[in-house]
Amino acid sequence: MDKNTYLEQYDRTTHVLGRAASLITLVMLVGAPFLIGFLLGALPDLSAAVKGFLSVGIIWTVSSVVEFLVYTPMLGAGGGYLAFITGNLINMKIPCAMNAREIAGTQAGTPENEIISTLSIAASSLTTITVLAVGVLLLVPLQPILQSEALQPGFANVVPALFGAMAYQYFRRNIRLAVVPLTIMTLLFILVPSLISQTSLLILPSGAIAIGLAYLSWRKKGAES
Amino acid sequence: MIAQLNSISLYVICGSIVAFVAAVCIVFMVRAYKAGIAIGMDPAKLKRTLTSSVTFSVLPSIGILLGVIALSGSLGTPWPWLRLSVIGALHYETQVAQAAAEQVGLHTLSAAEMTPQAFATIALLMSVCIMWGMILSFFFNKGYLKKLGGQKKEKTDSKPGFGDMAMTAMFIGLVSTYIGSYIGGFVSGEGLFTFKGDLTPVIVALVSGLFMSGFIYLAEKKNMVWLESFSIAGSMLAGMIAAILL
Repeated sequence: MDKNTYLEQYDRTTHVLGRAASLITLVMLVGAPFLIGFLLGALPDLSAAVKGFLSVGIIWTVSSVVEFLVYTPMLGAGGGYLAFITGNLINMKIPCAMNAREIAGTQAGTPENEIISTLSIAASSLTTITVLAVGVLLLVPLQPILQSEALQPGFANVVPALFGAMAYQYFRRNIRLAVVPLTIMTLLFILVPSLISQTSLLILPSGAIAIGLAYLSWRKKGAES
Repeated sequence: MIAQLNSISLYVICGSIVAFVAAVCIVFMVRAYKAGIAIGMDPAKLKRTLTSSVTFSVLPSIGILLGVIALSGSLGTPWPWLRLSVIGALHYETQVAQAAAEQVGLHTLSAAEMTPQAFATIALLMSVCIMWGMILSFFFNKGYLKKLGGQKKEKTDSKPGFGDMAMTAMFIGLVSTYIGSYIGGFVSGEGLFTFKGDLTPVIVALVSGLFMSGFIYLAEKKNMVWLESFSIAGSMLAGMIAAILL
């Protein structure tokens, strides 16, 4: 079988498996509260659930649409299905896949990148599942250590630590591209500090600015060459 | 109530879903590895991807475990364990659980006030609010990627490489937003230009970035390529230690 036929078959099976896994996970996740409610002797209060959804769920629905549109091209088919099933996208899966891509030197949209991304998301998800399973098993002895006052500032700053390292990794090669969104976002948060609680919603305009600048630079390079 | 929420039956229900998702990850991982070998990718590169992704994920996973511990006081251990192993996100769970608790009439998210119906409703809302990414993937992943692939193919004929550049740019936008929020939080977090906000995230990001530059220097200039797999985890650890020492 030649490479293209193999990849077409691989891609087709990925979508079949991805859709089946998403559907089964969805049914189990929505079904679990009803099953648990049944065991506890009280089913969910659906009117309260609808009210709750209207108060907080709408924001997360919009956020999910944005995440799907932005991250699916970064992750490819296999990585995309897995990432949306396993969650923790911004704080782990996306940076993890980008780091793997950087190390492997693959380009977005290529079959190699699809494979690296899938491997990365799967390994990352299995790590989280293992750490959490071990942690839950050892919850009693681990709790005093993990919850000790001294360690709390460290765990509270996992995300800044992650983005500090990733910022150096990406900015050093693209400093001209990074200056504008970084400056605009910094000024925006300084002048309108209430936006800090909505940081994730500002990723899209910031990314759009960076993509716009990248496009101008790409066109300029194309015109010169 | 908390004893019921920590019962064996809840562990079995939640554990089964976690086990299913773990199996899905293994299937995708094995398929991707085999496909990589079949199309001629370097096995060492594939293994390095796995190693770097595991080391990368350990520290954030411990942070997520803290989320499980934090929620286990009010929702028991099995449900937060499931939520944060599958689909959930650390910043999301507490916020939605709190909002759901308010809707079912609890003053606060606590085991003392929890009832079976309140728990079942909170659990349902936590599932429903964040399932849209999975639903969109189910319906549109294939078509969306095909459309993007078509556009890429058309453009490849004239000027190659923008798709890759766009992804890098999008990520730069993402990182810039967070770094900007840390600086904004320090400068104006406690009032416009007061410089009395939390400086810790800024210092943590700086220390982490500094260590990353050291790792990259050693990997690129001193040929210590193996360090790449540990560079992010090592830099994060340095940043987190800085936060503890501050």
